[in-house]
Amino acid sequence: MSLLLIILFPLLGAVLPTIAIRWGRNASAGSAAGVAIIPLALLFLDAPQVFAGKIVQAGWDWVPAIGLNLTFRLDGLGFLFALLILGIGLLVILYARYYLAERDPVGRFYAFLLLFMAAMLGIVLSDNLLLLLVFWELTSLSSFLLIGYWKHHADARQGARMALAITGGGGLALLAGVLLLGHIVGSFELPVILRSRELIQGSPLYLPMLVLILLGAFTKSAQFPFHFWLPHAMAAPTPVSAYLHSATMVKAGVFLLARLYPVLSGSDAWFYLVSGTGLVTLVFAAYVAMFKHDLKGLLAYSTISHLGLIMLLFGLSTPLAAVAGVFHIINHATFKASLFMAAGIIDHESGSRDMRRLNGLWKYMPHTAALAMVAAASMAGVPLFNGFLSKEMFFTEALELHQAGTLWWIVPAAATVAGVFAVAYSLRFIHDVFFNGEPVDLPRTPHEPPRWMKVPVEILVVLCLLVGIFPAYTVAPLLDVAAGSVLGGPLPEFDLAIWHGFTFPLLMSVMALTGGVLVYFALQYRFNLHMIVQSPSPGRRFYNRALARLAGLSVAITGGLQNGSLQSYLALLVAVTLLAGVFPFWQLGWHSGGRPLGMMDGVSGVAWLLLVVSAVCTVIWHRRRLLALIFVGVIGLVVSLIFVRFSAPDLALTQILVEVVSIILLLLALYLLPQTTPRESSVARRMRDAGLAVAAGLGTGGLVWAVLTRPQNTISSFFLEQSVPGGGGSNVVNVILVDFRGFDTFGEIIVLSIAALGIYAMISGLRVERPALDPAGRPWAAGGHPLLLRVASRILLPLALMVSVYLFLRGHNEPGGGFIAGLVTAVALIMQYLASGIAWTEARLRLDHQRMLAIGVLIAGLTGVASWLFGAPFLTSAFAHLHLPVLGELPLTSAMMFDLGVYLTVVATTMLMLVTLGKIGARENA
Amino acid sequence: MELLVASAIGVLVACGVYLLLRGRTFPVVLGLTLLSYGVNVFIFVMGRLQSGTPPIIKTGAAGYADPLPQALVLTAIVIGFGMTAFVLALAVRARSALGNDHVDGVERSGPERVR
Amino acid sequence: MSHLIIVPIVLPVLAAVLVLLAGQRRQTLARAISVASTSGLAAVALALLIAADTGEYRVYALGQWAAPFGIVLVLDRLSALMLLLTAVVGVCSLLYAVQGCDQQGKNFHALFQFQLMGLNGAFLTGDLFNLFVFFEVFLIASYGLLAHGGGEARLRAGIHYVVINLAGSALFLIAVSLLYGVLGTLNMADLALKVAAADIEDAALIRSAALLLLVVFALKAALFPLYFWLPDAYSSASAPVAALFSIMTKVGVYAILRMYTLVFGAEAGAAQWVAAPWLLPAALATLALGMLGALASRRLKGLIAYLTVASVGTLMAAVGLFSVDGIGAALYYMAHSTLIIAVLFLLSDLIARQRGDHRDRLERAAPVAQPVLLGILFFVGAIGVAGLPPLSGFIGKVMVLQSATATGAVYWVWGVVLAGGLLSIISLSQAGSLLFWNTDVKAEKPFVAAPASAAAIMPVAALLAGIAALSALAQPMKRFAGDAAVQLLHPAGYIHAVLG
Repeated sequence: MSLLLIILFPLLGAVLPTIAIRWGRNASAGSAAGVAIIPLALLFLDAPQVFAGKIVQAGWDWVPAIGLNLTFRLDGLGFLFALLILGIGLLVILYARYYLAERDPVGRFYAFLLLFMAAMLGIVLSDNLLLLLVFWELTSLSSFLLIGYWKHHADARQGARMALAITGGGGLALLAGVLLLGHIVGSFELPVILRSRELIQGSPLYLPMLVLILLGAFTKSAQFPFHFWLPHAMAAPTPVSAYLHSATMVKAGVFLLARLYPVLSGSDAWFYLVSGTGLVTLVFAAYVAMFKHDLKGLLAYSTISHLGLIMLLFGLSTPLAAVAGVFHIINHATFKASLFMAAGIIDHESGSRDMRRLNGLWKYMPHTAALAMVAAASMAGVPLFNGFLSKEMFFTEALELHQAGTLWWIVPAAATVAGVFAVAYSLRFIHDVFFNGEPVDLPRTPHEPPRWMKVPVEILVVLCLLVGIFPAYTVAPLLDVAAGSVLGGPLPEFDLAIWHGFTFPLLMSVMALTGGVLVYFALQYRFNLHMIVQSPSPGRRFYNRALARLAGLSVAITGGLQNGSLQSYLALLVAVTLLAGVFPFWQLGWHSGGRPLGMMDGVSGVAWLLLVVSAVCTVIWHRRRLLALIFVGVIGLVVSLIFVRFSAPDLALTQILVEVVSIILLLLALYLLPQTTPRESSVARRMRDAGLAVAAGLGTGGLVWAVLTRPQNTISSFFLEQSVPGGGGSNVVNVILVDFRGFDTFGEIIVLSIAALGIYAMISGLRVERPALDPAGRPWAAGGHPLLLRVASRILLPLALMVSVYLFLRGHNEPGGGFIAGLVTAVALIMQYLASGIAWTEARLRLDHQRMLAIGVLIAGLTGVASWLFGAPFLTSAFAHLHLPVLGELPLTSAMMFDLGVYLTVVATTMLMLVTLGKIGARENA
Repeated sequence: MELLVASAIGVLVACGVYLLLRGRTFPVVLGLTLLSYGVNVFIFVMGRLQSGTPPIIKTGAAGYADPLPQALVLTAIVIGFGMTAFVLALAVRARSALGNDHVDGVERSGPERVR
Repeated sequence: MSHLIIVPIVLPVLAAVLVLLAGQRRQTLARAISVASTSGLAAVALALLIAADTGEYRVYALGQWAAPFGIVLVLDRLSALMLLLTAVVGVCSLLYAVQGCDQQGKNFHALFQFQLMGLNGAFLTGDLFNLFVFFEVFLIASYGLLAHGGGEARLRAGIHYVVINLAGSALFLIAVSLLYGVLGTLNMADLALKVAAADIEDAALIRSAALLLLVVFALKAALFPLYFWLPDAYSSASAPVAALFSIMTKVGVYAILRMYTLVFGAEAGAAQWVAAPWLLPAALATLALGMLGALASRRLKGLIAYLTVASVGTLMAAVGLFSVDGIGAALYYMAHSTLIIAVLFLLSDLIARQRGDHRDRLERAAPVAQPVLLGILFFVGAIGVAGLPPLSGFIGKVMVLQSATATGAVYWVWGVVLAGGLLSIISLSQAGSLLFWNTDVKAEKPFVAAPASAAAIMPVAALLAGIAALSALAQPMKRFAGDAAVQLLHPAGYIHAVLG
């Protein structure tokens, strides 16, 4: 439980500083410190067990289905890191209190810092690799926020994005690697994984898995060639650089390798990849560091170099090297954090970080200078400072190396060279800043910082010394447990003495020291270091160029596909459709069935000809819109003839009526649209479209043929049998519409209603400017309404209404029904509008179409619901027969009520559509 | 006869698709209308071709045409009508707001769209 | 026989009718009705989800006409999940809309309710032609809603959207009637039996119909190469409408899941797994192109629209594996992506309202009125949609990746999904740093950016709470999704429930 609390306190406590800031910066910082101290105490409560060699564990299920669980472990390694995170974290909180300026939003800073602290603790305490990954990405995110803390600085924003992209990308690779590892082992729980060395290294997936995991580790720990994000992360406030980008977060990659050391290490791939990368990074970064004029730049590259050193040590995969690696993690954290803080103080008090201007500060801030010197000496690996010890161990191991064969000398040589560079840049840090002449026009005159700002540095420096002088009494036990849990076995023999006699490693140290001193002064006085200007990091240039390329590519591709042309989208749709429709026949071949074909007759032939001709004419003259519309009307009529010809009277009736209404609609619309279409599509385009069209036609025709020549087997016989006994009507189509499949009809009238409402919502009250003259130059003759038509329509109206009632009532047995009746009524009413004009008609015919529509739908719906009262499902019909004069026997069915709803809806929607559209046109003749 | 019907449907679809691919709203609407004619007949004939046998129950009827596709076509016709009306209204609205009746809402050249 | 299952279809209709009867003037009444109905839907959907989780299928024979002759509604885990998602997104979008968006045009609430009715119907019906009808219902409603509020961009996008979908509807009719012509039935379960027993002579016709249907559904789901209508339509729609639309692409996904496991699945003989070879490549292409589009976007809403496309790609990639793990992962991811996309669309509107004439364009502008609040919301939303831990996006992505592990497609799926993740991180961090960091503090504002009211923030917060729940309760959710997948891949139970 306490393990979870260690993470939860900073996580949930992150809000406190933002609240406490109301009572000032001290309150904010204090609350943050408080939030960080508690977990530290909790950590120490568990210390005895850890030092007794036990592993403290706690766990809860989260998503066992994917192997992601909230399981935590505290072992030596975890303890070491947790200690660094919380201890240095506290010092940074104190330091930042004085570092941040009045105008900086302090509360937010501490909130982000605590979030990071929680995430980092999560990484080192996770006992489940997926959980570790969760915290891993969270550190990247919080680091993003902290780097971008000074959001008004462009370099801060870019640095933040770059860091997120690189480490986040690495995180994705790590995810893949972890998933592979879990796939090999069958679990993400560390105890299981750490037991499966043979299984893992024996697996064919070992290499890809290793590479992916290393990608994650290398990006996080800023290894070459992914190192370049770290220098740009220096745009963050210095406390952040000290905490995340030297002491803790950048160590996450190293930590991961240490975690998985027992199962991943030892293979050749591991050796070459890890130690190779480490070696290159170590030397390269140390070299670059010497030429950095920016204090933090120098420290950043030095950090990269030291991370490379640690990587190299783990790569060597000898027990003692691992111990040295762990040891150097501790040492680097202490001296580098203090150096960053010192650099921050210098920047804070002198207003510059440029070593070409910062000179001779010794006079102004001797105390700070002294502290910095100790830390720098440690970084250089001078005896009596902690850096020396781990570096000695490193040299020793470098010599012990056998895997490299005849190239055995490379590592020791590189180690020495890197040592030389390290001494050189450490020396520069001290000499250039504190001596080497006088300051060059600094923004402010430097002076010692506030008392408490130095305390964190002092503490860390004291640690450097204590560890450096009395290792055995200070760091030894911690190192033992930490290294023990890395090796997962017995520790090798080693003693943390400063003096091992005159050994070869000692000689290497001496060479490094003397060489370093020589190199530095040679650079400074022989080659005038201050004049040497380095090109901005090639890594960054590459990154920016790659990003620009990517952006360009994405714009090109997206713009190319998403070209905003409906015609190309539709052409693509048609093409895909053709492919989908034809492919199976291309696969399986095309069979037409053996059903006997019907004889064709002359009338049908004529109809066919009429249809084909007018269809083609529509296409040919589609630019003359009115003409094309007439042909379309003809086609509609032929279609209804087809329905008649093949025994579908209801369809024929409906088709004709819908035809009439649609044509009126189209005319109304055409009245508000241009009368002609410009000839604009190129020949090639028209050829392409014609090709697609013909193919589509052939395809559809082929499908029809294939079906028509096949024997039919269908469920329809049921409807024919049940229509009268079950549905109470002999017009099977109508019974299907209002009963068997009444639900379809319900949906259908709703579609109509929505269409009408949508149209109303879209164009009611719209004003359209239309040329006063039609294309032929004639004025739009829509003035008076012809008398004959007016009279005729008024006489016709009651007649039409009677007809529709008749159609409605008989619909259940003979062709007709609510829908057809509705259309007849609508047409009759429209006649009034056309003949007498909207104003006249509406004055007499007070219909709120929307209300009528609603009532129609309501009736239909309620009829459906009514059947619930009889415990029957929605739309269950009941009927009784009833005899009337004229109409004869009339079935009275609940379905008829439903049909009434349909009738009303149809009338209402049709009127609503036409009147809404008509009014726009009417407005300007009025 | 089957060939006649199949080819008729093919012609309707072909002409419909061609007009569908035009650049102005009105021809496109005509194209959709032709297309829906074709589709309606397509649905209808999926019940095969039967002459003189309307699906209205009578004693001594020779047989009945398949009623189900007819019901489906009725639904399809109605829905198609609603859709046509809507797209027409949209075309009118767009014409008045954008000043042209191109399907992309801009004369000729591709629209400059900010994404 | 419980009528609860049809309430998700009848209730919104009733609400819409009442809204219409209330008339244009009585807006508060209309709002009250709309909100009440939608929250009612949420409650009913929850009840149905619990009912469905017993594992038994609920079948509701309309008009008491048994399948295959009548139309039946069928409730299983999948449809219950879709209903709940629809209701949740519906409630939140509506609560956002009543902050004022609903006044920018006529008949908003009626159209909104009808849209919900169409979606719910599509998720429930067990009849293929009835599915077409409900497709038309929610499509025509969406046409109306897309045009809501007017404006040139909306009209342009509207024409594209409507015409393309009308073409799609025509194709839908052809495919359905073709299946009827060959197999003589429309009920999905019955189709499954008929397909399984189909004569080898008819195999090509059936497969052709199946692939034509796939085109229709892929068009709705916005799969490559048929997603081009989506970015402009979604990014130009008003915020609550766009948020509601985040469920509409999922209808296509639902239809594919339903038809290609039930009718054209394992038992389908000649048409077995007919969609499988096409889905995975299309999905991966969709994912990749969606992410590139997001990177190329110059507007926040455009970026989100492309992320919608990408999310469809991700979940269809998992569907394309047609395994219990794959479909289970897809369903979990679908829940996640639907909610998070809705969040982002609403959020983008909140942000745009505070940036004056810059709206949601990704360019330097004066800081928003509520930088901290909106910044946090955006950061969390971005983490969610980019699939970063600890939110459900990460969990869902892990599920998807794991489901592909043992398959031959593993390298493709992992490569594209992970690379896509990186692209989304890049584009979102750029957008975020432009909107909240790189602000022009000095610019004296030509407008007063009114801070968003708590009532406007609430729907966003509620959806994010849903994301949090999805993450915290990932285990039970995954269990449910897995069971739903099992139901889909063993259609015998469904068929037996429907046809007895």
